[in-house]
Order: sequence, then C-alpha cells, then structure tokens
Amino acid sequence: MAVVAVGHGGRMRRLIGRDPIGYLFIAPYVIFLAGLFAYPLLVALYISFFDFFFAAPGAHVARPFVGLDNYARALSDPVFQRSILNVAEFIIINVPLTVLLALVLASALNAKLPFRTFFRVSYYIPYVTASVAVIGVWLWLFSGGGLLNGVLGPLSPKPSWLVNELWAMPVIALVVTWKQLGFYVLLYLAALQNIPRELYEAAEVDGAGVVRRFTAITVPGVRSVTTLVVILATIVGANLFTEPYLLTGGGGPNGASMSPVLLMYREGIEQGHAGYAAAIGTVLAIAVMAISAFNRFVLERE
Amino acid sequence: MSRTWLRLGSIAAVLALLLGACADLGGGGGTGAPASGAAASGAAASGAAASGAAASGAAPSAAGTKGAIKIWYSNNKEEVTWGKAVVAAWNKDHPDEQVTGEEIPAGKSSEEVIGASITAGNTPCLIFNTAPAAVPQFEKQGGLVALDSFPDGASYIKDRTGDRADQYKFTDGKYYQMPWKTNPVMIFYNKTVFTKAGLATDNPPLKTYADFLATAKTLVAKGGVQAAIWPSPSADFYQPWFDFYPLFIAQSGGKALVEGGEPLFTTADGLAVANFWKSLYDGNLTPKEAYQGDSFADQKAAMAIVGPWAIAVYGDKVKWGAVPVPTKDGKDPKDIHTFSDEKSIGMYSSCKNLGTAWDFLKFSTSKDNDGQLLTLTGQMPMRADVVGTYPDYFTAHPEYKAFADQASRTVEVPSVPNSVEMWQTFRTAYSESVIFGKTPIEQAFKAAADKIKTLVSGN
Amino acid sequence: MATSVTTKIASPQVGRPEPTQRMSWRRVPGLAALMLGALLFLFPFYYMVVGALQREPKTDISGAFPNPANLTFANFADINARVDLVRTLINSGIFTGGVLLATFFIGLLAGYALAQLSFRGRSVVFNAMLLILVLPFQLFMIPLYVLIVRTYGLADSYLGMILPFAVNATAVFIFRQFFMQLPRDLFDSARIDGASELMILRRIAVPLARPAIITAMIVTFIGPWNEFLWPFLITKQHDLQPLAVALANYISTVAARAANPFGSILAGAVVLVIPAVVVFVLFQRQFIESNLGSGVKG
Repeated sequence: MAVVAVGHGGRMRRLIGRDPIGYLFIAPYVIFLAGLFAYPLLVALYISFFDFFFAAPGAHVARPFVGLDNYARALSDPVFQRSILNVAEFIIINVPLTVLLALVLASALNAKLPFRTFFRVSYYIPYVTASVAVIGVWLWLFSGGGLLNGVLGPLSPKPSWLVNELWAMPVIALVVTWKQLGFYVLLYLAALQNIPRELYEAAEVDGAGVVRRFTAITVPGVRSVTTLVVILATIVGANLFTEPYLLTGGGGPNGASMSPVLLMYREGIEQGHAGYAAAIGTVLAIAVMAISAFNRFVLERE
Repeated sequence: MSRTWLRLGSIAAVLALLLGACADLGGGGGTGAPASGAAASGAAASGAAASGAAASGAAPSAAGTKGAIKIWYSNNKEEVTWGKAVVAAWNKDHPDEQVTGEEIPAGKSSEEVIGASITAGNTPCLIFNTAPAAVPQFEKQGGLVALDSFPDGASYIKDRTGDRADQYKFTDGKYYQMPWKTNPVMIFYNKTVFTKAGLATDNPPLKTYADFLATAKTLVAKGGVQAAIWPSPSADFYQPWFDFYPLFIAQSGGKALVEGGEPLFTTADGLAVANFWKSLYDGNLTPKEAYQGDSFADQKAAMAIVGPWAIAVYGDKVKWGAVPVPTKDGKDPKDIHTFSDEKSIGMYSSCKNLGTAWDFLKFSTSKDNDGQLLTLTGQMPMRADVVGTYPDYFTAHPEYKAFADQASRTVEVPSVPNSVEMWQTFRTAYSESVIFGKTPIEQAFKAAADKIKTLVSGN
Repeated sequence: MATSVTTKIASPQVGRPEPTQRMSWRRVPGLAALMLGALLFLFPFYYMVVGALQREPKTDISGAFPNPANLTFANFADINARVDLVRTLINSGIFTGGVLLATFFIGLLAGYALAQLSFRGRSVVFNAMLLILVLPFQLFMIPLYVLIVRTYGLADSYLGMILPFAVNATAVFIFRQFFMQLPRDLFDSARIDGASELMILRRIAVPLARPAIITAMIVTFIGPWNEFLWPFLITKQHDLQPLAVALANYISTVAARAANPFGSILAGAVVLVIPAVVVFVLFQRQFIESNLGSGVKG
C-alpha cells in the first residue's frame, strides 16, 4: 500500500530517490567513513605495493616500488602460513562450540525459569568485560603453578598450557568462546521469539521429547541466525589479536598461537615494515571475505 | 545496484590514489619513483645503502638554537629519581632553557613507542633510554640527529667513553647515539640457597659448563627452588641478550653476533653455547614458561643472569653474590667479556632547540651527574675509568666493583641495518631449536644465518 | 494501527513465548546444569576479586577459598602508586562518553536514513558499513595514526582518541534493523500533516526506539572502555591515558616490581571491570531481544 510521497516526480526523482533528505541525515556518517576508514584503507592498499616504512616528517627516504613482492613474500612466509593454520584451528574449535552452546543456552534461558535474571547476567557478563582485565585471571589460572594444574595434578600437560604447542591455541579458543558467548546467546534469544509457541505445543502433544523438539523445531527455525553467527564468529576468529597478544606475548611457543593480525602488528609497528604488514592485512581481508561468502552460500542453500 | 556500487567505488578509489600519491605520507618527494620490476631490487639495494647516509633528516643549521626542551627517561624507579634531580638542577640555573622531563610511555618495548613517535613527529629532544639495537631503525626513519654535527660532538663522546665508543658508531661513521650507561651482564647467585644445597658460596662452581650444569642439578634437587636459573623464554627480539648472547661473547672472547657482515654464531663457540642452554632446558633446570615477576627476587630461581640495575630490586630480599658468565672450559675472570646491556641517549630530529639539547646532554653526562647516576641506580656510566673516577663510591660499595671491572670488557649489539629483524630471526631459530627442541640446532642456526646475512647487507 | 505497533514494541512481556514447561521435577537436572554452567562462567570473576584481595599470592586450590587473614587492600594501593586509578578511570569515561555521544547523534540519523529513507546510493553506504565490520582495525591503524597525528595534529588529545571509534558500525546496524521493522505508514501520516523529517525522527521514531538505543549504547560502550591499543599509540602523556591502556602497560612492564605482581594486576582489573558490569546489570532489563532479532531472520 504505497503512500505517494510529497514532492516532484520525474527524472530528478528517479536519479536521487524519493527522500533526498536522506543525504543530509547520512552525510555525517559518510564523511566519517570516508575520512577515517576509506582513506586509511586505500593508503594501506597503496603502501602494500612498496617497500614502505613510515619516516619522520620531512625526511627524504627511498621507498622503491616492489609490485607484488610483499604479497609473494607473505604467502611464502612460514610464520604467516602457520598463523593461518592457527586461526583455522581456532575457528574449527570455536565456531561449532559457539553455535551449539549459544543455541542450547538460548533455548534454556527462553523458558520461564527461576533465577532467570541471574542466569542471563552471568552468561552475558564476560562479553562486557575488557580482555585486558580478564587476561590476568586466565594467565594465573593456566600458568604452570596455577589452579588448573593444581586440580589436575599429574594429568596436567608438560610443558604447561600456554607454552605447550598443542594446547596454546585451544586455550585461546576456550577463553574467546567464554568471552563472546553472551552476544550470540542474545542473537539466538531474539530469533527464538519468532518461533510460534503452537509448534512446540503441537509437538508435545504428538509425544516428541525435549531433544526431538529441539532438533526438529528449534534448529531449523533459527537457521538464518545460525548463518549470521557462523559468519560473525569466523570474522572474529580471523581477526584475532588481543588474546594472542596478551596471553602469549610474542606468538606463543614456536609461533603456535601467532595470529595473522598479531603478525601484522609485529611487522608493521614493532619492526617498521609497514608495506609488508599492509600486504598481510590485504591477503587476510580477501580471505575473510571469501570465506564469509562461502559460508553464506553453503548455509543458505535451500 | 551493484553497478552503481562499482562505479562509485572505482571513482572513489582513483581519487584517493591520486590524493594518496601526493599526500603527506612521509615527507616531500619521498614516495620513491617507481622503478621497473627487474631493476627494482638492484635499485633498492644501492638506494638503501646510499639513503643510509642521506636519511639524516634535520640538518643542524639550528645547532645554536636555545630554548625549552622536553626529554624522556625510562620508567625504572631509580632512574626516574635521577632524572628528576638532574632536570631540577639544570632548571635552577637556566630559567630561559627549561627542561621538562617525563617517563617514557610504557609499552612492550620502547622501540614501538619511539618509532611511532618519530612517525608522528612528536618525539622529545632527548630520550635517555634509546636501545642501540633500535638506533639503525630510527636512523633509517630519519628520526635521529648525528651528534657529529656539533663542533665538539665526536670529541666529547670519545673523551668520555674511550675506545668502547667506536662500537656505537653507525655504518657511516657517525654517532647517532651517545653511549650513556651499561649494565654488564653477570651471573647472580643466591647464597642462602647455595648453602642449603651444600655448595660453596665463595668461589661457587660456576666457571665451566660442566660445573655449571652439575651445580644446577644440585640446586634444583636440594636447594628448594623451582629452577636453577630462569631467563625469560619468550619470543621477543631482545631476549637473546639475556641468555645466548652474553655467553657467546664470553666464549668467543669478545665477538659480536655479526661482524663485517658475517654471522658468527654458527661457529663452534656459538654451537657450544646453544648446546649448553639446551642441556639446561632438557634437564628441566630451566622452565620453558615465563615467570610473572622476578624469579630470583621471589626465590623461585637460584640464579639470575642480569646486570647491576637489579640490585636495587633485590634489596634485602636476597643474599646475593655475582660471578662472570661461564665459558666452556673456564677462563680467568680478567679475560671474560660479556654483554653490555647498554642504553644510549638519542637526540631526535623533531627537536627545535638543538643547542639546548646538546648542552643539556653534556650536563647530564658530566662527572657529577654520572656519579649521581652511579650512586642512585648502581648502573655503570659509560666512562673510561669508572673505578678510578669514583673511588669513594666503590670503597663504600665493594660489591659493585666486580661490575665496574666487568664494564671495561663489554661487547655491544652489532650496529647494522635491520638489527631488530636480525635479532627476531635469531630468537625464532633459538626458540625452536634450543628451547623447544623441535629442530636440530645446527640446522636452525644455519638457516637463520643465511637470512641474517641478507638483512644486514642493507637489503 | 499505529497504536498496536507501539504496544507490540513497547511492552516486552507480550509475545514472549513460554513453552509449556511448568516447574516440574523433571526440570531439576536441567536447572542444575544451568546453574553449574553459570557458576563456572562467573568463576574467573570471583577468582579475580579473590586474587586482588590476597596479600600473598596462592596459586593452589586453597587460593580459591581465601583465608580471611590473608585479605588486604594493599594491592589496590600498590597499583594506584604507579597508575593513578582515578585519573585513568576519568579518562576512560571521557573517551567512552565521547564515543557514545557521537554514535547516538550520527549513528541514529544514519540508521534511520538507511532504513526509512529511500535515496540513491543507500545500499552503497550500507555495504561500506558491512565492509568495515569485516576488516581488522590493525589494517587501518598505522595510516590512520599518521592521518590523525600529522594531518589533523591531534596527538595527545581526547579527540584524537575518540575519532576512529566515533560511530560504532554495530550500533548503526542495530538502529537500521530496528527502524526497518517500523512500517512506513507510521510516519507518512505525520508527513502528510506537514511535519519535517527531523521532527518525525525526534517525536516519533526516537521514543519508539528506546530499547534499541539502549542495546546499541551498551554494545557501543564495550568498545572504547576496553580498547588499549589505539589510545596507547595516540597519547604519550600519562595523564591522558585510559585505564585499559595503563593496565595493559602495567602488566607488561611495571608489575614485576610490586610486592604481589598478580595481585596488583588483578586489583587494576577489578577496577576496570566494575563499571562495565554495573552499567550492564542496571540496563540489562531493557535488553529487548526482539529488537535485535527482527530483520536478522532473512
């Protein structure tokens, strides 16, 4: 039932749309995006083709054009390759775990429960706290003489968790899952509102148990949210920086917890190879976009 | 819709690229002219070497300018005390040339902070914590002022520091840093723990590798400590300075990691040192996990490998003694060299009042103020004859004499291009072969040496 | 018709399905599992507080159940001696507050425009915004740093800190999703009456959007409150640094000199965590899932 907007019709209208006031509303945001994101992004792209480093203002330095050298170097760098594997390992652990836990928790929290507020708050709280703050606790919990090893006793891995090549990344995956879960529970809770109650009631009358109701009604019902969760969690995983940086300093034992973004930081800021870091970042961004598109395709296949 | 997006996007991209090409990315016409692909790497090599000399940004035509300046000192508690005192003394006598002193903003390493600051153009005039390993990088960025440009620049440095000053010249022969203070690395040992383990505390058995290892085993077994010695195993580029490098310097009789463009750590000496540390890791005498805090001060480790600045930390907590680092077959202490852990003072090109900066630099490294540094922090000023210059101090603090003596036999990090990356490459190889035992040492070191050779040649 | 929409959105209790699960004994194990999970989730925070209050660090199991004799506020005093907790908290507040304000004004306008106003190029902006969400901040960081510090000359200033975070893309997304739910006729009657778009936004859209605004504000709050990398780069002066930066630096360099390094780190952490938790607990009732959810489905 279209309401014809007030105003002129014709070619002008078709060119700029029905509500040109939209330009005014959106202008501040567009300026913000263009100035503070588009421009640096293009600069980053630009310098990735040079042997580039940032110098003092007014200094005259040579920065030769190197074409695709930085990219070639990135793709053949074993540290970078390892970091990609690490992030893949992270995603394999984190994404299914997140989807499963978030959906189960959301279903549970959706019901009329005693202490519901307490539950909701406790599952959301890690999401609103700073990584910097909680890192201290996790470092302490997982350290060689920490609580976890105290409980496990002789079963604790040698060397201890965060310096163990095998366990460093899974520990990070665990910490990040714990931290991010609240957000995804929120998304699922919202989606669950849209599943009509009658479906559950009918199923119960037909004799379906809790699990069957879950798999037959809940899971298909939130399918689009699942796609979103998978994509978001993958993006978060690919851009992992804070936890490897804070928990395992220089990239863990033998680079076992080095992430691409951490590598970018190390190369770009610590070692001053801005051009190379930009190339790494671009490769990463392209990979992430490709994977997101792939995810979307696979999950929304009818 | 997607066509519009493409169109708009491409217009934006072209515009931005054009803008970016002329933009203030790094100064003037500095965004190098595109060379044809094949010639690019050749041009890069000679270009970089030539620009090594050309990149010194500020021509000190302003060498005489006087006025207010800003300085940074480290965030070590004792150095802060010293810094504040020196600044206050200067400010009293120079009302027109006031100095503002600040602690360096803390970060994982000061190099990041200073590098970012150089890029921004807001470095202070003097930074009293410039690490020699980072100087090549700052110089490449055009961030440092060559002290030779002052009429008495080179001579002042040479007079104060003596022959050791030569190690601090850059490849073009100029001084981009003034050597300030050194913390010769030695082995501290906990006398109480040694006694508990039944070991001698005068002349402890720490001279040869064999002795050291045996002592380490005894300490862990009977001394009630978690580790014999606990250098940090983390992967930061500067960690070798506190495990591999001091021992390598001692073993090789005073050689640096790289000399004359040749990596020297693949020699028999280098491998001996690496194998020594590997034995410690393999025998669980040294943990592979970093300790939060100071393991020696907390009595979790029986020994520490560090310089005299740490004495202030230990205070009365630990009864300590100090000996030179071990060598394979033992050497006379008079012949043992070690790592200097030196910190320099850099003068930065964003400085407006270079005249005052130079005068203050000389003031803060005068005999009196160097003496103050010694008294307040226990660190050795880079003076030619410290013991002779401050006899009263050493009479009052005989325990520091060993360090002063050792200070005359120190070796610095090599002053080469890409030095941070060089150390990072070394550390990665050391970590995977010595600490975690994933690759054989010879293989890892050889691969690192090949890469480092390219790095330091200026590519 | 307008009234029924308002009711639907403003009263959250309606429309929340309650599956026919009455409180029965069968549900006890499920409830117990949930309770256990909640306690496990909260455990790190409990441990953080315990650790911050201990005089001597105890890393074994007994440390989890502290001896009252071992409790002290000394760690807080320790970290306060090196990091001015009050000053840095205020800095965090200014930084976060600035971002919240910018996101509210600019973001709300943008979200409304993207949802309700039809103009050419709308989808370009939307896609650009999605792109921003995908890319890591570290990619922009150095060029952005040069831009802000050299070209705009904003080093060591609050504005320099706030600028890159000024408008939170997720918040804009939330606003857009919310406004897309509202039927256009809701506003058309006002337009026909001659109201300007701005007035429509102010009088009709914003009051309706209150739950979405609160949700977006909480999401936006988290970013700058916890950010430690960017302000660290931008500010060299200690008295401008937010608490997250000061704490991150404290952990890496200075903690080793304190009497109880872990304790003082955790003390700083507690101070950083408490305001975020308080804000959240106060406003969590307003977290209306339906706002986030609609529009997400397909």
